[in-house]
Amino acid sequence: MTTPEKKKSTAEEPWPVRVVSQMISAWIARLGWVWVEGQVAQISRRPGTSTVFLTLRDPSAEISLTVTTNRDVLDLGAPELKEGARVVAHAKPDFFAGRGTFSLRADEIRQVGLGELLARLEQLKKLLAAEGLFDRARKRPLPFLPGTVGLVTGRASAAERDVLDNARRRWPAVRFRILNTAVQGPAAVPQIIEALKVLDADPAVEVIILARGGGGVEDLLPFSDEALCRAIFACRTPVISAIGHETDVPLIDFVADVRASTPTDAAKRVVPDLAEERRLIATARGRLERAMRHHLAREQQRLDAARSRPVLANPTAMLDQRAADVDALRHRAHRTLGYRLERADDDLRHTVARLRALSPAATLQRGYAIVQAADGAVVRAPADVSTGDALRVRLAEGELAAKVVAT
Amino acid sequence: MAAKDELSYEQARAELASVVERLEAGGATLEESLALWERGEHLAKVCQRWLDGARERLDAARQAADGRE
Repeated sequence: MTTPEKKKSTAEEPWPVRVVSQMISAWIARLGWVWVEGQVAQISRRPGTSTVFLTLRDPSAEISLTVTTNRDVLDLGAPELKEGARVVAHAKPDFFAGRGTFSLRADEIRQVGLGELLARLEQLKKLLAAEGLFDRARKRPLPFLPGTVGLVTGRASAAERDVLDNARRRWPAVRFRILNTAVQGPAAVPQIIEALKVLDADPAVEVIILARGGGGVEDLLPFSDEALCRAIFACRTPVISAIGHETDVPLIDFVADVRASTPTDAAKRVVPDLAEERRLIATARGRLERAMRHHLAREQQRLDAARSRPVLANPTAMLDQRAADVDALRHRAHRTLGYRLERADDDLRHTVARLRALSPAATLQRGYAIVQAADGAVVRAPADVSTGDALRVRLAEGELAAKVVAT
Repeated sequence: MAAKDELSYEQARAELASVVERLEAGGATLEESLALWERGEHLAKVCQRWLDGARERLDAARQAADGRE
């Protein structure tokens, strides 16, 4: 092998392919031996050779590496290796100069057992709980009637049908935006995260359901993935998890705003039951009307009571009373006047009697006479007159004219 | 229905009650009493109009609702 030239490459003096290839090979080799963990996306055993190619994928991202090893290594550490399994490999980067490709060459491959995976999930659960991803206070309430329901699920899956059928039965006008993704295997997590982002960014989508039917513990592992848990936590739209059966509790069940036990349950939680709502409205309307009628009837009663009061119902009573008052007064007036007239009569009689009693007529009758001077003055003594004065003498039966002869 | 400047049901009812009370208490002049009585009749009519109107609206709303269902 020739050593790479120190001189810089230029358009006039470019480096040959072999030189560049060698430089790359040297750079890659610097990493040395590493332990790497991933999910087996593909295994290809070349017939007739002992070389085995594995596509090793990151379970949380669309990132993969090619691993080459030989059959003996596999048989020793992972004899039952299938696609989807988790493995830990001891490998070194290897540049294949013939084609300019790169792979990891593994000299040891161990399959990660289910027990270990579950133990790691427990650890992850504690970590996420400690970070607050499961906090009740962080849960967002579901809208009563979502404009559009986002649904992430497998294409033509039973879970998709369960969600759609049950939601439409409850609320026929429900709108869905459905994104189909892989729901198991290495592609599941990145695809689901992408779908969540798309739905979360859609302003019409007011709630997102993540649904998958039942499956083996390993099939459901993507729904306990840390990256997916964080993606759900980051969603601004409320998320309902509906994974597997009642007994399956993947980690996203703790992160989601609502955990539905099954896809059917998710449909029940996401939209109200139209028939039930109609019944409630009908009941409320009935009560409303009864209350209104009751109120009106009560007011009518009050009004009737007011109108039936004698002062309003029989307004002539008001006049009758006054007419009676007037009559009574008139009578009193009459009576009062009558008394006064009688009294006046009496007075008159008495006065006349007294007048009569005082009259001199009776005395004259007895033979007395009244002598008056010419001026009418009564003559009581001889000195009252002089000789020759004319006198009037009043008798009972008449008058005499006389003259004083002597005093 | 009710004129714009007309009393609300509650105002009319309250005034009606006070008119009846004053009439029953007596003491007003005949002219005043007559005026009170006329006012009372007017108020009673206003109240009745409100109640009838409310009932009509209630019936109309129910018919509309029944028609839709």
